[in-house]
Amino acid sequence: MKSLFTVISFTIKDMVKRKSFIISNIIILLIIVIGFNVPRFLNSNESISMQKITILDNENVLGETLNSLKENFKEVGYDVEIDIKTTKDEIKEKVEKEEIESALVITENENGIHYEYIINGMGLNTTAPTEIINTISLAYQNQKLSQWGISPDKLQMISNTDNIEITATSSDETSGNIFIMMILSVVLFYAIYFYAYQVSTAITVEKTSRIIETLVTSTSPRIIVLGKTIGIGIVGICQTLVTIAVAIICAKVFLPSDTINLILEMTNLSPVVIVVIAIYYLLGYSLYAMLYALTGSTVSKPEEVQSVNGPIAILAVIGFYLSYFTMMNPTSSLNEIAALVPISSPFCMPFRVMMGLSSINEIILSVLILIITILLVAHISIKIYSSAILNYGEKISLKKMFKMYKSKD
Amino acid sequence: MGLKVQNVSKTFGKKLAVDNISFEIDKPGVFGLLGTNGAGKSTTIRMILGILKKDEGSISWNGKEVERKYVNFGYLPEERGIYPKIKICDQLIYLAKLKGMKEKEAKESMDYWLKKLEVEEYKYMIAEKLSKGNQQKIQFITSVIHNPELLVIDEPFSGLDPVNTELLKNAIIELVSKGTYIIMSSHQMASIEEFCQDILILNRGKTVLKGNLKSIKEGYKANRVELITKKDVSNYINKNGLKILKQMDNQYEIEIREEKEAQKLLKDLIENNVEIEKIEVKKPSLNDIFIEKVGDK
Repeated sequence: MKSLFTVISFTIKDMVKRKSFIISNIIILLIIVIGFNVPRFLNSNESISMQKITILDNENVLGETLNSLKENFKEVGYDVEIDIKTTKDEIKEKVEKEEIESALVITENENGIHYEYIINGMGLNTTAPTEIINTISLAYQNQKLSQWGISPDKLQMISNTDNIEITATSSDETSGNIFIMMILSVVLFYAIYFYAYQVSTAITVEKTSRIIETLVTSTSPRIIVLGKTIGIGIVGICQTLVTIAVAIICAKVFLPSDTINLILEMTNLSPVVIVVIAIYYLLGYSLYAMLYALTGSTVSKPEEVQSVNGPIAILAVIGFYLSYFTMMNPTSSLNEIAALVPISSPFCMPFRVMMGLSSINEIILSVLILIITILLVAHISIKIYSSAILNYGEKISLKKMFKMYKSKD
Repeated sequence: MGLKVQNVSKTFGKKLAVDNISFEIDKPGVFGLLGTNGAGKSTTIRMILGILKKDEGSISWNGKEVERKYVNFGYLPEERGIYPKIKICDQLIYLAKLKGMKEKEAKESMDYWLKKLEVEEYKYMIAEKLSKGNQQKIQFITSVIHNPELLVIDEPFSGLDPVNTELLKNAIIELVSKGTYIIMSSHQMASIEEFCQDILILNRGKTVLKGNLKSIKEGYKANRVELITKKDVSNYINKNGLKILKQMDNQYEIEIREEKEAQKLLKDLIENNVEIEKIEVKKPSLNDIFIEKVGDK
C-alpha cells in the first residue's frame, strides 16, 4: 500500500511539474477567461456603434407610445430621441449641418402611417431603419385597432404566438437541452480520453528508458500500473475541477447574474446527475486508462506509441459517436444499447440520466457491466505488462500478447 | 545463510535458457557470474530477483524462498535506465522510497552516495543532461541507495573511464566491508579476478565451471612464460622446441608444457649472455580459463 502511494505521488509530481502541463493549463484558463468576456466585449462594441436617430412626430401620430418604445429601439441598436415640436425643414437642416446623424419623420395620411428617413448623403450601405419602422408600425396598428373598439384582450388573442404544442407518440419523456448535453458529452469524452492517453505515455517512457527493470525489482507490476493510473486520474480530476471552478467564477463575474441558473435549468444538473457524471467519468477513465496501459507496455521504442495506440483511439471514437449520434434520438433502442456498452456508456448514460430516460435498474446494470469490464481489462493489462517488461525487441503482436497472457511469468 | 540457488532451470518456448544450475553465496563478498552472450546470466539474475519465474528448482535467501517483499535486493541491470526528464534527486528518492526507505533516510543516503561517486553537482539536473558515465554512476546509486543485503550488478564498469572505474571499485569494496553480498556479472575478466572469491561460468545455460577462483587457478599448472629481453631471442626459443604465442619487439609470450622447459630456456639464455629484463612463469589467467571452457563449444 505504501508503494502504491509512493507511485501515485511520484506520478502526480511528475505530471504537474512538466512544462507542457503548466503551459496547457494556463492556455485553457486564459481561453475560459477570454471566452466569458466575449459577450461583454461584443456588448461594449455594440454600445460604441449604437446609431443615433431622431424620430419626428410633430403631428402626434403615436403620442406617448413612442417614448415607451425607446427601450425596444435600444435593443436593436438605436439611440432614439423623440421630437414632437420641430418642423420637418428644421430637422432637415440639422441633419445637413450634422447636428444630428439621421431622422425619421412620421406623418399620417389617408393611406395610414407614412415614414420619411432623412440622412446626410446616400452611401452604398444606406438603408432605412427597418427594425424601428416595424416596431412603430405594430404600435400604430394596435393603436388603431384599439381606437376602432377592439378590446386589449382580443388584441392579445390575435397577436398571441405562444400557442405551439408538441405531441410525442412515445411515452418516454425527455427534458433538458440536447444541444448543451452534446457539448457536455464532447467535453466528457476529451477529459476521459486525454488523461487515459497519458497513462500509455507514462508507461512507454518507463519502458523505453529501461527504468522499468529497476522498478519491478522494487515493487510489483500491479502497483506500478495502478499507481500510474490513479496518479494521472487524480491530476485529471483536479485539473477538471479547477477548470470548472474558474468557469463558474468567470460566469459569476463576467456574465449576467441569472446565467448560471439558466444553464443549470437547461442541463437539469441536479446533485444526483453530478454524482452520476462523476461516477461515469471515473469509470470511463479507468477503462480507457487500463486499455492504454496495455498498449503502452507493448512498446519498446517511442516512435511505436502512435501506432499501437491507434486501435484504442478507434474504439474510443466508436464509443463516443455511438453515444453522440444516438443522443439526437434519445428514446431510440440504439441509445439504450449505447448506455450499456462499456466503450460508449461513460459518454451516454450521464446524459440519459439528465434527460430522465433511465431507470435506476438500467443505471446499476450499466455501472456493473462497466466495472466488470474494467476489472477484466485491468487483469489482462497487468499480466501483459508483467510479461512485456523484458521485451525490448519488436512491437508485440496480438498473437504474442495472447501467449504472454497464457504464460506463467 | 546467504543465497542458495538449487537445481534451477528455465525454458523459453523450446529453448532451454538455464539448465539445472546450483550455487551458493554463504558469506559477504563478490560472486562472479560469467558466460558468453546468451549463456543464461541475465535469465539467472532475473530469476534471483523475481522478475522471471523459474520452471524448476529453488532460490532461497537466508533460508526463505526469494520473494520481493522478503528480501532487500539492489540491482544494476545491464540495460541502463533512468528517467530522462526527471531531476536526479527526485528519481533517486522515489526509487529509495519504493524500496521501503523513509524520505529523510533516503535523502541522507542519496547525499552520501552522490558525494562518494563525485556526482553531487548533478543532484538537481535532469538525467538526460548528464554524460553516459555520470548516468551510469547515478544508476549505480539507485541500486545501493537503500543499503541492500544482496546486490546484483551486471557489467558495472562498462563505458566508464579509468578514474570512474576506480571510484566504483572503491564503492564495491566498501559495500563488501559492510557485509553486502554481491553478484557481479562481467566480461571484464580482470575485474572479476580482482574482486571475486567464487565464480560460476555458464555456457548455453549449463554450468561449465564453478568454485573458489583461487582453488580453480591452483588446479591449473603453469603453461606460459612471459619474457622481455634486450635483443631478439626467437632463435633460442625455437631451438628449445617452444612455441611463441605472442611477440612484440623483444617481448614474448611462450607456451610451455611443464616448468622445466622454462628453466631450460633461462639457462640457455644466461649461458649465451642474453640480457634479460623480465622472465615470469605464469598460470592461465581467468580469461584463458574462460576461453578454454566456453571458447570452442
